[in-house]
Amino acid sequence: MAELATSQHDELASAESRSWHLHHRRKITLWGIAFVLPTIIFFAVFKYGPMLWAIELSFHSYDMISAPRYVGLDNYRALIADPIFRSTLFNTLIYISCTTTLLTVIGLMLALAINTGIPGARHCMTAMFLSNLMPVIAVCLVWRILLHPYGVVNQLLQHVGFGRIDWLTSEWTAMPSIIMVTVWRFAPYFMVVFLAALLALPDDYYEAAEIDGAGPIRRFFHITLPLLMPTIFFVVVVSALLCARVFLYPYLITGGGPGNATRVLSMLIYETGFSYLKMGQAAAISVVLFAIMLVFTSLQITLFTRSERIYF
Amino acid sequence: MAKSDSMDLTRRAVVGGMGAAGLGATYAALAPRAYAQEKKPIKVSFWTFDNPQQRPWVNKRVKLFTEQNPHVKIDFQWFAFGDLGKKLSVGFATGTAPDGFVSQDWFMPVWLDKNLLAPLDVGKLGYANYQAFAKDFAPAFVEGATVNGKVYGYPMWFYGYCNYLNTKQFKEVGLDPDKDWPQTWDQLGEVAKKLTVKDGDKFTRQGFKFAMHAAQWTMIQFNPILVGAGGSWFDQSGKCIVNNDAGVRAMTIRASIAQKYGAEDPADSIATNPIPGMDFLKERASMFFCHPLPLELVKAQNPAMLEGNYFRPVQYPGSAPGKGISTAYGFNLVINAGASPDKQEVLHDLYKFMMSDLVDAWRDAAPFTFAKKGGWEDNAEVQKFPYVNEIIKAGSNGVALPRTLVFNELADSMHRGVQKIMLSKADIKSTLNEVAAEVDRATAAYKKA
Repeated sequence: MAELATSQHDELASAESRSWHLHHRRKITLWGIAFVLPTIIFFAVFKYGPMLWAIELSFHSYDMISAPRYVGLDNYRALIADPIFRSTLFNTLIYISCTTTLLTVIGLMLALAINTGIPGARHCMTAMFLSNLMPVIAVCLVWRILLHPYGVVNQLLQHVGFGRIDWLTSEWTAMPSIIMVTVWRFAPYFMVVFLAALLALPDDYYEAAEIDGAGPIRRFFHITLPLLMPTIFFVVVVSALLCARVFLYPYLITGGGPGNATRVLSMLIYETGFSYLKMGQAAAISVVLFAIMLVFTSLQITLFTRSERIYF
Repeated sequence: MAKSDSMDLTRRAVVGGMGAAGLGATYAALAPRAYAQEKKPIKVSFWTFDNPQQRPWVNKRVKLFTEQNPHVKIDFQWFAFGDLGKKLSVGFATGTAPDGFVSQDWFMPVWLDKNLLAPLDVGKLGYANYQAFAKDFAPAFVEGATVNGKVYGYPMWFYGYCNYLNTKQFKEVGLDPDKDWPQTWDQLGEVAKKLTVKDGDKFTRQGFKFAMHAAQWTMIQFNPILVGAGGSWFDQSGKCIVNNDAGVRAMTIRASIAQKYGAEDPADSIATNPIPGMDFLKERASMFFCHPLPLELVKAQNPAMLEGNYFRPVQYPGSAPGKGISTAYGFNLVINAGASPDKQEVLHDLYKFMMSDLVDAWRDAAPFTFAKKGGWEDNAEVQKFPYVNEIIKAGSNGVALPRTLVFNELADSMHRGVQKIMLSKADIKSTLNEVAAEVDRATAAYKKA
């Protein structure tokens, strides 16, 4: 009887304890939600809300003055038929792919150079990183002057036998110039990212490889590069996203010209929305840009995940 | 007795006088306030564009007006010239547009098409009727501010473009700027060629300079060439016809200075949006089509040019001597259709007050000329300004920029086209075909929307 009472008491105590734990856990969960809620609300209102609204707007005709009017896929059809959009889309893809590739390669090369530890390397890194601290407007103005037909760049090239190059006013050189300015500005930033990753690589692999007689090139391709894959992935994704949203460099340096040679999607969105008052069409271009980035990033994730499986 | 009387009177007089003085002072202090309080306090918002001469003058007049009307508070804001239209669009979209603003001439069709402007009561602006109002301004300007006999814009500044010459450089090459200034397009090419100085392939000085830095300037400078060549931007049905024979002829003239006469390097310019005439002001180009140049601007960029007084405006070249026409544009004072009636009333008073002293405006913002025909041109102070009659003549003979609902699209397309033709030597006809097609697509999209 006493045992039964004790057992009942234990069960009761255990139930009470469970209830307390449950209550406590629920309380913690509620507190957790309460702490996270402001951030969720912030993102919902200022990020995902506008994103969803932009997608909805892309099916409307809206001039910012009259009420939006549903037009179905008209905005997208108009884009497909518009040669300016097609050429701008092409420019954007060229810009993203070239800039991302160059940023990754040059950033890595600079990091490797700094990592050799040659005297003055750290000072060089600091000096290069300064380009990241300059205001964008100053950078663009300086490069406009440097790349002027009679600017410093052409003057220097003339000394080595080149003729005049119209860097910013020729259809063939304007986009490469914009890419060059972007790489000049951001490569040192990614160099620092690569350098941090290089410094974190374990020495054991290199020592073992050296004992096995692997040379520097072999060590780079078979040890450094595979171990850097996660960082390369990060740099490629971040730089591609950065480049997809580029606006100020072409806007301030060439204004999208000559002709349409350096107009990118962000500029077209701005012009279509705020200059031509076609907000629906601007939203449609934004959705296209968003889709491109989504595909691009997904592709990169798939490729890099596969390569990580190979390497690790 | 006299003393006693005097004593009594003095005491009473002192007390009474103090009381009277106190009452008087109280009345004096309260009376104006009571008068001021007769009018309900009101706050209106007013926007304009920024400019080193014009904006401070507008600011001054607004301040004077509020001093004279203490019940009125004006929230006065200004924006960069190119940004004002965008700020207004966003303002209308979000319900934060100002009660009144200065509108660029070429934006009027869009505001009017969307019923965003309130009609003005010309009676409140001091005119007996519409006819009296219309008579007071250049016809081209009234046309842009009027719909079906209703006035929506009170014309302010209105000016034409001149061909500015560097007279020192003219004399250097043996030309007399007063006689040898180019009156036809061919003469412009020939004179520009003479003025050009090259060091091998490098231009040390360009004989003439077309602006290449902004779409608005492409329009401003091409507009009179197109009209002068017998062309127009649109036909009666609204189709863009810039690619017809006249358009091709006009663009051939536009391109000839660089391509036929070799007097211009389209890729070489230091022009910026704030100072489009920089190449001329820095003496890198001998001639430039420009709005009236403020002396302050010349002084700031090239003091020697102002001190030496070696620049002057002349009329545009034309198809034949004396037939040059320029581009003219201007600004209107307008009222937001959403402004309450009492705010509209105040804005009418403000606009009337602002435009009541054009000589004062000239003093502060010369040489920007006005749309109003009389009341300032003959003034001695105005006439003292160098070559003022050339500037006034350019405004009077100017053709307005195309008033279209797709002005920005047209300007951007033309700018792209001109860049292709001048920088990539693209074929004129096929490029203009592309431009016309782009503009027609924009027009169709606008109509559909």
